[in-house]
Amino acid sequence: MNYGIVLRVLGSILMLEALFMVPSLLISFYTGQVDRFAFLITIIITGITGIILNRRKTPDRHIRPKDGLAIVTIGWVLVSIFGALPLYISGSTSTYIDALFEIVAGFTTTSAIIVSDVESLPLGILFWRSFTNWIGGMGILVFTLAILPALGISGFQLFKAETPGPIAGKFVPRIKDTAKILYGTYITITIIEVVLLMLGGMSLFESIVYTFGTVATGGFSIKNASLGAYNSNYIHFIVGLFMILSGVNFSIYYSLFKGRWKEILRDEEVKLYFVIILLAAIAIGINLYKTSYTSLGLAFKDSFFHVGSVITTTAYYTTNFDLWPAFSKSILLLLMFIGGCAGSTAGGMKIIRILIIFKVIKRDVLKIFHPRAVSPVKLNSRILPSETIARIYSFAGLYLILFALSTILISLEGIDLVSASSAVIASLSNIGLGFGIVGPMKSFSDFSQLSKLFLSLLMLLGRLELFTLVALLAPKNWKREI
Amino acid sequence: MKVTIVGAGKLGYKLAELMVMDDIDVTVIDHNQKTLDFVNEHLDVLTVLANGIEINVLKSLGIHRYDLLVATTNSDETNTLICSLAKKLGCKTTIARIRNPDYMEQLDFIKHELGIDYIVNPDLATAQAMEKYLLKNYNFYSDEFVSGKVQMIDFNIEHMKEFVGKKLMELENFQGLLITAISRNGELIIPNGSTELLANDTIYVIGKTTDINNLNNRISKDIINKEVERVMILGGSNIGYYLAQKLAKDNILVTLVEQNKERCKELSEALEDILIIHGDGTDIHLLEEEGISSMDAFVGATGFDEENLLMALMAKQSGVPKTIAKISRENYTKIIDRLGIEVALNPIHITASEILKVIRGGKIVSVSLLLGGDGEVTEIIIGKDLPIVGKSLEELKLPKGIIIGVIVHNGEVIIPNGKTRIHANDRIVVFCLSDNLPTLKMFFKSQKGGILSELWNRAKGTR
Repeated sequence: MNYGIVLRVLGSILMLEALFMVPSLLISFYTGQVDRFAFLITIIITGITGIILNRRKTPDRHIRPKDGLAIVTIGWVLVSIFGALPLYISGSTSTYIDALFEIVAGFTTTSAIIVSDVESLPLGILFWRSFTNWIGGMGILVFTLAILPALGISGFQLFKAETPGPIAGKFVPRIKDTAKILYGTYITITIIEVVLLMLGGMSLFESIVYTFGTVATGGFSIKNASLGAYNSNYIHFIVGLFMILSGVNFSIYYSLFKGRWKEILRDEEVKLYFVIILLAAIAIGINLYKTSYTSLGLAFKDSFFHVGSVITTTAYYTTNFDLWPAFSKSILLLLMFIGGCAGSTAGGMKIIRILIIFKVIKRDVLKIFHPRAVSPVKLNSRILPSETIARIYSFAGLYLILFALSTILISLEGIDLVSASSAVIASLSNIGLGFGIVGPMKSFSDFSQLSKLFLSLLMLLGRLELFTLVALLAPKNWKREI
Repeated sequence: MKVTIVGAGKLGYKLAELMVMDDIDVTVIDHNQKTLDFVNEHLDVLTVLANGIEINVLKSLGIHRYDLLVATTNSDETNTLICSLAKKLGCKTTIARIRNPDYMEQLDFIKHELGIDYIVNPDLATAQAMEKYLLKNYNFYSDEFVSGKVQMIDFNIEHMKEFVGKKLMELENFQGLLITAISRNGELIIPNGSTELLANDTIYVIGKTTDINNLNNRISKDIINKEVERVMILGGSNIGYYLAQKLAKDNILVTLVEQNKERCKELSEALEDILIIHGDGTDIHLLEEEGISSMDAFVGATGFDEENLLMALMAKQSGVPKTIAKISRENYTKIIDRLGIEVALNPIHITASEILKVIRGGKIVSVSLLLGGDGEVTEIIIGKDLPIVGKSLEELKLPKGIIIGVIVHNGEVIIPNGKTRIHANDRIVVFCLSDNLPTLKMFFKSQKGGILSELWNRAKGTR
């Protein structure tokens, strides 16, 4: 492994993180709350560590696949470890593990909460939590690639390891420009939503925090009742709309910007994404109207908002959907596995994988009737290489295995099956909200320290799409070469 | 600048690599996923999985916004068609690789009728480079700058045993000459006065042509220095064919050994005054029968790098003064200097350099790369508006990887020192490691975007 470049990039990441904390520091000094010194101390520690690591001499600048894996994985762990410091030092969480859980949940856009009374937290901390959502959504390394010229040539390894989806691709020749376009799009969408939310009567601070939570499909709130605290259809509509838009592959927006409409209309993944949302929302809406809701409009409003919220793995809520009938809850549970589009800020298994899995099933059914039929699996009228398909299947397999085994482990907490399994999928798919004891208005605070650590690991696994982390954890790879 | 390369073979890959270093936005089109995966992992370029001959592919790329398209697929016809299509779709410049000798006669017609701007033929270019070397009096590969006033040669230090173990500043009889680089164990080193020369180093020496000639004579004392009259070519590939044709025109006796009977017939039909031998060129008995030891030069031009290298070594052993091997892959770049073969030519590098000439613009005399592209020599005319005009070398604070080898001021060749000043309209020959290329550009590129101020002239042997 090329230790020099790995440490150097890690140093840059930490220096960036220190920079990211500056807005929170300013807010905490402005409000004069208890978290001032927490941020000051953390920025100093993080910055100095970063500078020390970054001063390594690196004669060999090439990042090989293995180095890329190490940088991405260790990078995410490091930013979480340092990012948790302000929460712990300011006393917002009682233990460091709690702080770590909360901040991993932030960076992975899971936004599972430990502190049930978020309204009591200082504003600087609240801002930092939501800001981790925003950075983690598009990716820490993608940001690093956009601003650090030195990584140029070999940055693709990092890009590939951090961007969700089975087929990572650039859309302009240089990785740096690709990263810049992605962040440019991201920032544009963010600004638009902030303005729209402010028009709806939110304060600047509130609209920024909720925008971070929305566009990153994170879901950190500053009210105990999430978006339920705002009794405004307009705000619910804007947040719901932007959640769903953020679950779309961001390269689509680039095509949109370039006026390539045909490409977007042809994109099978995006089409399926909207079809799933539509079908799920209609099914739930009718189910709600037939059972508990008296107004059809309200039933559909709630069903659309929460379908969008769950499929994009955002997990904002306006009402307690844990009280919904089992049919609706089952659909939501299924959506938790599916997640948003590849290349978006959403988590889950990604629409594209589900799409390909179904295509392969369709092909295999055809093969039963016509064993000699030649029918390769195509995506957007292009044949998919069999390696890609195999990788998708093993991803899905690993996802389900992890889900099953983790549910068994978590159920040792002595909780019911629905709570245990939804806590696991909420972490693995980066949702942060499930049913039962992890449902709306609840928190993860009752879990044991060990479970919290384990769930944090699941969140990282989910965000980095399993293989990145699993490959690095596999002991055989370590023995062979470190 | 935006460039599309169709076909990510050896040439396509090398071009993409060099262009990325030159800060060009590169898009690579290929229909093989595996090839593209490799490109993606190693180069910062955009890859498109498609058949470049489809109009839709070119259109959806927005080919009209590209400055250049290079077609390097393995089919001449495809390359021609792609270039023609791209040109019609509005691509500014197109370059096609065409290898089949049958087309060579009608190239001008093809270019004109199909709207292709440049046609490169790696085999022909390589044969030309070989011919140039064979006809020259030097025993070492050399290159000319400033219309022949300045030369650079490189040779293994074993030819000057008295240099081994000495520091550069201790070298005697070395006035007017400058060692710009040392190739040691496959790495290029930019030396300074206290760098010590070790056995088996290859040194690159630059200086006035007269001084270089003297040096050449000193080194070649022990080598028989006679004109090339007999040449043996191993392999009747396109390169062998072109070379034989050219040498025959120069009245040189050529023996060509080819293994394939059919090919032999074709060659004998196409070539006049050439002795064509049908047989296994790696069979030393056959070569001895054909008088290898009386040859003045031996050229290994088969399709196998290993065969070319080993047989060139074998020829060297049999007492052939000049040996050339054709090497297509990069694998051996770093050991060739130590093998004792005078010249190893890489068609890929020669072609890539030719294409780079087109990209850099200006009146380029020759372009080629050192050690597979690790370094290059550039001839630059200093424009009036360059910020470096009037400064001495000390004040420039050039990075370590850049050495100004020669300054030609008012026609006078100067080997510069720290006090030498750069004037407008001087010609300078700069040696530069490829890592420092962007810096070099910064120093010598006109702020206004270069009105003839940069005359890029990369040079020197494909080693």
